[in-house]
Amino acid sequence: MRNSIKVERDKKNLTQAQLAELVSVSRQTINAIELGKYNLSTILALKIAQVFNQSVHDIFELEDSDW
Amino acid sequence: MKTIYLLPNQFKRIGWVLFIPGIILGIIFLINQSERFEFFNITVFSIADQQALGKTEFFSFTKNNIFDETIGILIIIGALFIAFAKEKSEDEFISKIRLESLVWATYVNYIILILSIIFIYDMIFFWVLVFNMFTTLFFFIIRFNWALNKSKNQIRDEE
Repeated sequence: MRNSIKVERDKKNLTQAQLAELVSVSRQTINAIELGKYNLSTILALKIAQVFNQSVHDIFELEDSDW
Repeated sequence: MKTIYLLPNQFKRIGWVLFIPGIILGIIFLINQSERFEFFNITVFSIADQQALGKTEFFSFTKNNIFDETIGILIIIGALFIAFAKEKSEDEFISKIRLESLVWATYVNYIILILSIIFIYDMIFFWVLVFNMFTTLFFFIIRFNWALNKSKNQIRDEE
């Protein structure tokens, strides 16, 4: 799964730590998601999308290898 | 995400307070096994107890030195608290690391046990079983904290 969290963060001038606080997770979690090392839960995906005022599909995208 | 069956974060500190004396007393016990502090001689209730002649007694009261029992309980409760107290920022990613570490620790523990069954005999095997009471928790604590630190260091590298 690809995601554009880093891009969205930059647009909003948010650090990993600030985003982590907004969605109530640790900074390691945001970092691991950005690096593609962790597939997050649906709830967290929805929260992150809400912080960026976007739909989940705009931020997270399936890759061929996910099938 | 709600994490279940985990203890509040403060239990980690309590865990260390129990675990460290447990380990120190354990080392004293291993170095000098004949050392039996009088203080620990008490009458205990036992569900099953085998007397010197091999006769098993059930549900009886018996005299016992509880030095080794005390050590075992301090280490196990201490290690359980350390292992299963929540991290300050326990979340779904940390739960994943927790699960992976638990699976890893169980595998490693039983691989070592299988090798011990094959290659170690008699009283030394008894000691393997004694250590085996604690090793799953030890392996878990080491692997979990290593993985947690790795993910923290990754953040520092990113900066």
